[in-house]
Amino acid sequence: MAQGNLDSNGDITCPTSIVGESSSANVNAGLDRLRINSADENDDDGAVQITCFSDLSDDLTLHFQIIRLHKQIYAWIGCNSAKFGHLYAAAPTRPNNMVNVTSLLGGASDNTGSGIARRIVLKTGLNVVLACNIPKDSPMLEAAAEKKLVSKLIDLGYTKSKI
Amino acid sequence: MDASSAPFPVRHKKLSLDIQVIATQIGSMGTTLHARKEEGVSIHPTFSVSVIFGKRDEPVLVACARQLIEHISNCGSSRPLVLSLGLKDHSVGTLKGVVTAVIANRLW
Repeated sequence: MAQGNLDSNGDITCPTSIVGESSSANVNAGLDRLRINSADENDDDGAVQITCFSDLSDDLTLHFQIIRLHKQIYAWIGCNSAKFGHLYAAAPTRPNNMVNVTSLLGGASDNTGSGIARRIVLKTGLNVVLACNIPKDSPMLEAAAEKKLVSKLIDLGYTKSKI
Repeated sequence: MDASSAPFPVRHKKLSLDIQVIATQIGSMGTTLHARKEEGVSIHPTFSVSVIFGKRDEPVLVACARQLIEHISNCGSSRPLVLSLGLKDHSVGTLKGVVTAVIANRLW
């Protein structure tokens, strides 16, 4: 999914480009947004859109990767590293619009990330697979990450509009 | 299958990076598998591959993950692999195509 180059130290580096900066005086944010579409750009259902960006919050850097598939969203939240973290899957269930979430890798259904996955499903109505690397017992960090992720999802137009 | 060139936001070191691969023909992530090399004293490494989400009765998917984790291990990396396969057909040819494509875009 991601490509990079090996430098002399054996580290993998990936170029990022800054396309805009938040005007907030309290937060320095580097935003990197890239959209990759299939050949038929008029057909949004067939396009795979990938968005990557980072955000600096309280001396910690949060990294985000959002992949929009047809009727599904994959999101990864990293905290200061590129570790995969715990993996959760959440989906709306019929007939009443309840949301079910389960842990696929690591963690349990009540750990960091499961609540985020659940609320993203409520906002988007799509199936969500979320990989989350936020440390445990950090509710403020989790809330900040979720807020940033949701605002980006709204910005990208993935959320349901409220009538 | 889409090959992405989106730049990843993190500059990461080799040892701390897990490997995640998504290959889809059907527009969704499909079946998710987890594969890892097991700690052991034997000369020959052993691997654990399991389906964590999706079809559990498709041996081709498990074989695909097994081939990839063995290749990763032979390259000297002991990182675990999370593989998502959303395939229209589960034939050996598709398996080979996926394995070839992933190895061609390797990061380890």
